[in-house]
Amino acid sequence: MEEKNKSIGKAVNRIDGILKITGKATYATDYPAKNMAYAVLFKSTIASGTITNIDVSEAEKSQGVLAVITHKNAPKLNLKGGLRGGALLQSPEVYFYGQHIGVVVAETFEQATHAAHLVKVEYQKKEEKIDFDKLAPLAVLPQGKELADLIRGDAKGSIKEAAVKVEETYETPIEHHHPMEPHSTVAVWEGENVVLYNGSQVINGAQTSAAATLNLKPEQVRIISPYIGGGFGSKGGQWANLVLTAVAAKIVNRPVKLALTRQQMFNSVGLRQRNKQKISLGATIDGKLISLAHETTTHTAVDSEYIEPCGDCSKIMYETPNSLISYRVVPMNIILPTYTRGPGKSTGSFALESAMDELAYKLNMDPIELRLKNQPEKDPSNGKPWSSRKVIECLKEGAKAFGWEKRKSKPGENKIGNHLIGYGVACGTYPARQRDSSAVIKLNRSGNVVNAIVEIAASDLGTGTNTILAQTAADGLGLSMERITVKIGDSNLPPAAGSVGSVGAASFANAVNDACIKITNELLVKSNKKFFVRPTASQLMISENINDFETRADAKPPKEAEQHSAHSFNANFAEVSVNVYTGMAKVTRFLAVTGAGKILNPKTARSQIIGGNIWGIGMALSEESIIDPRWGNFATRSFGDYHVPTNFDIGKLDAMFINEEDKIPNKMGIKGIGEVGIVGVAAAIANAVFNATGKRIRTLPITPDKLI
Amino acid sequence: MRPFKFTNTTTSYAAINLLDKNPNASFLAGGTNLLDLMKEDVERPDELIDITRLDLTSISSITTGTNSRGVSIGGLGKNTDAANHQLIRKNYPLLTKAILAGASAQIRNMATNGGNLLQRTRCSYFYDTAMPCNKRMPGTGCGAMDGFNRMHAIFGWSDNCVAVYPSDMAVALSALNASINVMQQDGKIRSIAINDFHRLPETHPEKDNVLNRGELITSIELPKNNFAAHAAYVKVRDRNSYAFALVSVAAGLVLDGNKIVSAHISMGGVAHKPWQALKAEAILKGKTATLTNFRLAAEAEMSEAKPLSHNKFKVGLGINTIISALEMALKGTDFKA
Ligand SMILES: Cc1cc2nc3c(=O)[nH]c(=O)nc-3n(C[C@H](O)[C@H](O)[C@H](O)COP(=O)(O)OP(=O)(O)OC[C@H]3O[C@@H](n4cnc5c(N)ncnc54)[C@H](O)[C@@H]3O)c2cc1C
Ligand code: SF4
Repeated sequence: MEEKNKSIGKAVNRIDGILKITGKATYATDYPAKNMAYAVLFKSTIASGTITNIDVSEAEKSQGVLAVITHKNAPKLNLKGGLRGGALLQSPEVYFYGQHIGVVVAETFEQATHAAHLVKVEYQKKEEKIDFDKLAPLAVLPQGKELADLIRGDAKGSIKEAAVKVEETYETPIEHHHPMEPHSTVAVWEGENVVLYNGSQVINGAQTSAAATLNLKPEQVRIISPYIGGGFGSKGGQWANLVLTAVAAKIVNRPVKLALTRQQMFNSVGLRQRNKQKISLGATIDGKLISLAHETTTHTAVDSEYIEPCGDCSKIMYETPNSLISYRVVPMNIILPTYTRGPGKSTGSFALESAMDELAYKLNMDPIELRLKNQPEKDPSNGKPWSSRKVIECLKEGAKAFGWEKRKSKPGENKIGNHLIGYGVACGTYPARQRDSSAVIKLNRSGNVVNAIVEIAASDLGTGTNTILAQTAADGLGLSMERITVKIGDSNLPPAAGSVGSVGAASFANAVNDACIKITNELLVKSNKKFFVRPTASQLMISENINDFETRADAKPPKEAEQHSAHSFNANFAEVSVNVYTGMAKVTRFLAVTGAGKILNPKTARSQIIGGNIWGIGMALSEESIIDPRWGNFATRSFGDYHVPTNFDIGKLDAMFINEEDKIPNKMGIKGIGEVGIVGVAAAIANAVFNATGKRIRTLPITPDKLI
Repeated sequence: MRPFKFTNTTTSYAAINLLDKNPNASFLAGGTNLLDLMKEDVERPDELIDITRLDLTSISSITTGTNSRGVSIGGLGKNTDAANHQLIRKNYPLLTKAILAGASAQIRNMATNGGNLLQRTRCSYFYDTAMPCNKRMPGTGCGAMDGFNRMHAIFGWSDNCVAVYPSDMAVALSALNASINVMQQDGKIRSIAINDFHRLPETHPEKDNVLNRGELITSIELPKNNFAAHAAYVKVRDRNSYAFALVSVAAGLVLDGNKIVSAHISMGGVAHKPWQALKAEAILKGKTATLTNFRLAAEAEMSEAKPLSHNKFKVGLGINTIISALEMALKGTDFKA
């Protein structure tokens, strides 16, 4: 196909954009069901202990109530079914504040909410573990093998010889995902089978974990999730609310809708844990790193382990003969932490890239120059060659576009009125991976018009998966995008990976692309004509007069990928303005330059990157959840206390992509951009704040009190 | 939300009588605060008396003969309308700025002036029914005192409550020396000076203000002033919009050349009521308007602050914010009416 007729690489609009802005896109709670009942969860008000009495009599008598489900009458569920965070009403034990302890089902949402207030609970409290500052010294080696100490050379010994050192601890607070669409489910039983309408980043994962938890076979559970109102990791693994909706529907023998309230979102669907990260950098006088240690202390739930890998960036960003990456963890009575955008890398890069900035300052060296000086030839953690690595290009082209030369190297020297202006830079990275996925393509011809349906159990978080799959199929089949119908978000479709860890685009698009190649080959076999140029599937349907044809491809990552180290990389540039009186900081300009392989759609890609940047701005300046150590509750319990950025907090955002042809990670050369957009952002901003004010803030977020 | 009865009325007197009949009834104005509190099970009225149809929305000059004494704004007028009215923008730009610094455009379109005055604290222990809180449930203790009190008071708190009053509008009203007209049980109007309207918590934090049960706010009166050209509202918050104040300052300067005839300074985010910076005002009276004098006044004002465990920063921030507001006021009000 001629380049100009191709869809891939063009900034085309979302194919579902109109549906979304007209309210016709069906999110989980939009599914109508006859005779729907409404479920509302109620939660524990202690962090650790046992429920000794739970009085639901008043709630049961309340108007419209159909059932009150607690550990006393809940059906037996499989706690090891793969759902995250427990809270399945299987015992009177309470492990964290805000754990679900029951569900009210009623004719209306209001009646259920009211009745939930009428439940009276008595507890036998146990000593709770919630004060991270006190518990951190007790942290131990995690169970996860991938979190074992990673030692190369002798980081601790060699730093003693270093001419210049930075040894500092960086802290990041608990953050929440808070997607626009709170976690919601509609459950409809059909005999022994259940259909669950539920925003799911991993369709097949939601299916298997719900089935196992409900003691059903996977084929008895169908997940429907064509649209998702964001997830950021919190809809990657599924949580108790999914299955409790099914349980409620079974008990009242009616379809049931359960939507978490915004307030319940704080302690129902995981969170980004608090981290204390100690970074020790040692360098020669001319800025060559000789030692890098990244030691993370964090917390997990009392009954299971999740640790975000904060040391990942430090493994691969810089050349150093001596390196140490370690984790220590302490269980606490807090909900299980979970994958949160740029897991480990966003927080880890804050520590590493702040420390690099501190080192550059001590060396009296431009922070870009310091980074350029320490670029590794190969992946330092495993010696594998890079599939491609565009950090240098990101830094250099970004510096030019941003006007880096205007940066004053001494802090506090750029003042306009009552505002100090500063520039900061920081790099980031995220692995590029493809995962097994299958796709079916169905072609239909009427006359000279060929239409295609693409089927794959992919998910679209709102990022544009639907659109890039339509683009991929259009090019692969020789059709225009209007001729393509994309069907995703249904566990009855061919199984696929999830929209997690930036594997979505690579996994889904390669599956669709493989199916396009396969269907074209199969059609070619049917033809006895001779072609000088390889015909498209669409041309073959017409030339061979075929009405209907379909095929399925099961795509796997290429073997070659294993022998290489494949990652997306970026460089982030921030300009901040800090009011000298009030200490309020604003990011006035931000530029993210990313090398992420083939960019399928620059428009949706840009949205992904600047979306990540915006959360990064929140992470840097305002987002923080605080636990009251006396009870284990969140003292920040609404959007009035937990400050996500507003429009007014966001200055001018720009995203640039470095042209990168890299077919090693997968045939289409897609590296993924979902996660990398937030990596390095907070560090770039913190570094800009230092450049503006001379204040080095090592504990996020950088609120006004820290800058006055 | 608990079930409740919804009652309509069109006259103020009828509204008062309806409320009088049911000790568990509440007036409903814009509902932006009350309904949130009902959803959280903090407020539990069993009847809402909708007062939004009362004819109490006008904004007009108060005149004696041909002399204007000031401007009156209706108790049920919307915050947005008050902020944008020509009479207000021209004569009381400080009020416009303070209102626009609060909440979001959507909320200000719903929120009424009376409701704004009566909005309750944002203390998160007050909102969480599982927590102790003397304001919500007298006698249960104060959750914030030894808890997370970064947002809380540094002036005028008591052992019973350390909450701050969250309104931005009221901080400007305090500097503007407004008075609040309320209709009493007997249908008569009484007038309360804004600086006497809200209370310190003392031993009764459950009482935010001096209104008697059943009294209805009918209007707010703004007396004439001569600092419209030199007024500023500075609000410091954790993000640039849509957050409550860590500290805010409303300042107006009456100037004679470079000499300060009088200064009018009130603070938000520091106490259970708008905090008049009387010390700073006294120091500035008659002085020249210089940065040094601003600092002297600000430091004197903040010298008696009693911060809590998490809000020591508010003392320094208070000093800076007073200086910043005075500096801006001196430079001149930066928008045209
Ligand atoms: C997300 C959010 C952010 C906000 N941010 C800010 C902010 O930054 N700054 C700020 O100042 N405010 C802020 N607010 C508060 C907002 O200004 C108030 O909610 C609003 O002013 C209340 O007005 P209302 O008419 O909606 O009152 P309602 O909620 O209707 O009533 C509040 C109370 O006043 C009583 N009442 C109302 N009118 C009268 C009357 N005429 N006479 C007697 N009693 C009456 C009611 O019975 C009720 O008890 C915010 C609110 C929200 C929800
Ligand atoms: S500060 Fe006041 S409102 Fe907050 S918990 Fe204490 S008593 Fe309640």
